[in-house]
Amino acid sequence: MFWFFLEFPLIQIISDAIISNLCFAFLGLLAWYPTRYIPFQRHTPVYSTLAHLVAGLLVLGTWVLVIYVLLSSIFNSDESYIQFLNSTLAWRTILGGLIYLILVLIYYLVSNSQKLQERMQQEERLKNLVRDTELNLLKSQINPHFLFNSLNSISSLTMTNPSEARDMIIRLSDFLRYSLKHRENEYVPLKEELGRMKDYLAIEKIRFGEKLLYEFDIDGSCQEFPVPTMIFQPLFENAIRHSVYESIEPVQIKFSCVSNEGSMKAIILNDYDPDVPTRKGTGVGLQNVRQRIDLAYQGKGSVQWTGEEGVFTVTIVIPRIFV
Amino acid sequence: MSTIKAVIVEDEKPARDLVKNYLESVPEVEIIGEFDNGFDGLKAINELLPDVIFLDVQMPKLSGFEMLEVLDHKPEVIFTTAYDQYAINAFEQNAVDYLLKPFSKDRFVEAIDKLKEKLTKKQEPSSIDRIKQHFADSEEKIHRVVIKKSGRIHVISTEKINFFEAQDDYVMVYTNEGKYLKQQTMKYFEKHLDPEQFVRVHRSYIANVSCIERIEPYEKSNFILILKDGNKVPVSRGGMQLLKESLDF
Repeated sequence: MFWFFLEFPLIQIISDAIISNLCFAFLGLLAWYPTRYIPFQRHTPVYSTLAHLVAGLLVLGTWVLVIYVLLSSIFNSDESYIQFLNSTLAWRTILGGLIYLILVLIYYLVSNSQKLQERMQQEERLKNLVRDTELNLLKSQINPHFLFNSLNSISSLTMTNPSEARDMIIRLSDFLRYSLKHRENEYVPLKEELGRMKDYLAIEKIRFGEKLLYEFDIDGSCQEFPVPTMIFQPLFENAIRHSVYESIEPVQIKFSCVSNEGSMKAIILNDYDPDVPTRKGTGVGLQNVRQRIDLAYQGKGSVQWTGEEGVFTVTIVIPRIFV
Repeated sequence: MSTIKAVIVEDEKPARDLVKNYLESVPEVEIIGEFDNGFDGLKAINELLPDVIFLDVQMPKLSGFEMLEVLDHKPEVIFTTAYDQYAINAFEQNAVDYLLKPFSKDRFVEAIDKLKEKLTKKQEPSSIDRIKQHFADSEEKIHRVVIKKSGRIHVISTEKINFFEAQDDYVMVYTNEGKYLKQQTMKYFEKHLDPEQFVRVHRSYIANVSCIERIEPYEKSNFILILKDGNKVPVSRGGMQLLKESLDF
């Protein structure tokens, strides 16, 4: 092909090259769109190949048409050049097709590596989210204030009432052992979960005496209902932290629950003083419980709370799972 | 040495019992009162004038720190606390001693020995003043303000404060329920209030941004805040700048 060029003036050779290449560069850019919108992963190989064939032929056809019209109209006075143009049209088309193919492959490479990077970033974000959630759950398990104050109460009871001290150590151990189980994220019958919550309340009762009153009203059908471990712990802890810890007057905590075939509904009520300033971080425990229920039951359960006229109410609905 | 008069302020009965039990073998310390909340403790301390308080930090309504803030009588303090990263720093440097729950009898007796030493050489300023100073120097944020007004203690949540006004060595605190005079500096409040909620709009005023009804031009290049409670608060040029940053307009 090269020696044909030698027969023509330099200006013709250069214009031919510039016009052909510029047009191709522009149309080549257009090849980005088919690669972008015909991702291989989303369609069958036959569909993708056909789509590319159509897009490629369109681009190629346009290109050949444009350069033919441009070049022949610029140099229409030169017979021999027009002849040359006509004879090289097939060559130009094949060459153009090859370059187009290479461009498409390069575009695929670029867009795939971009996607890979995006996916890696997304995965990283997801990992962080999971870790944060786990961390929050761990944090919500045992409050160091509770632990050290309970140990101090036990220390005191060893002198005044050794048998009660022993009883409290056993309760604390049962509760701690149960809270470690939490990491396995398993389900337990409601009566077991509540048994440990009663240990927790009994320990707090020793610290606060008459200031802490609590009662459980559990429908018989709920006893065996499977619930996620430690799901009620943050709710009882909240009730104690925001009412008993902040009150001089006695505080009542009530737990009740009913169940039917498909789900269980539990309500936790506690008195609180609406005048006590809400501290930052309030609601984290409740949010965690809601998040856990959402994750575990894919949005089929619910956790709701309201505070009205000095009574804080948390309502939690747990669907039945069959284990 | 005469007997040391002590008061216990602690909301948990077993924890009070423990201190009393440990003190049985320390005859030179006499318990003249025990209280399960800061309000009763405060009243009794000002009346009974003890030499030392065994003080729990976490208590309902009025914390151990807040109680110290409004005490007239300033005895020595031995803190008892379960867990409080920040507070420990303040105790270490300024209190007679602090006992981390649960603590042994040996550790308790050690604290009593430190107390005896401290009482023989009274220092100025008192440890309570130094603890207050320590807190003032820290970056810790406050969520409520404790104020004594005609013999009563008011614990006011900062959310309920509309604005602060400088009055010589005092600061006037305005709420919907009324105004309260607090012996404190504007600088202290500027530093320890949540900057998201409170802006020093003027040399003599700090305003709660959630209480602003509107901002109106006032005289030449100045502005004035009309608060939801109807009060008007002047804004300086610098204050306007801070308000713009805080409210993003």
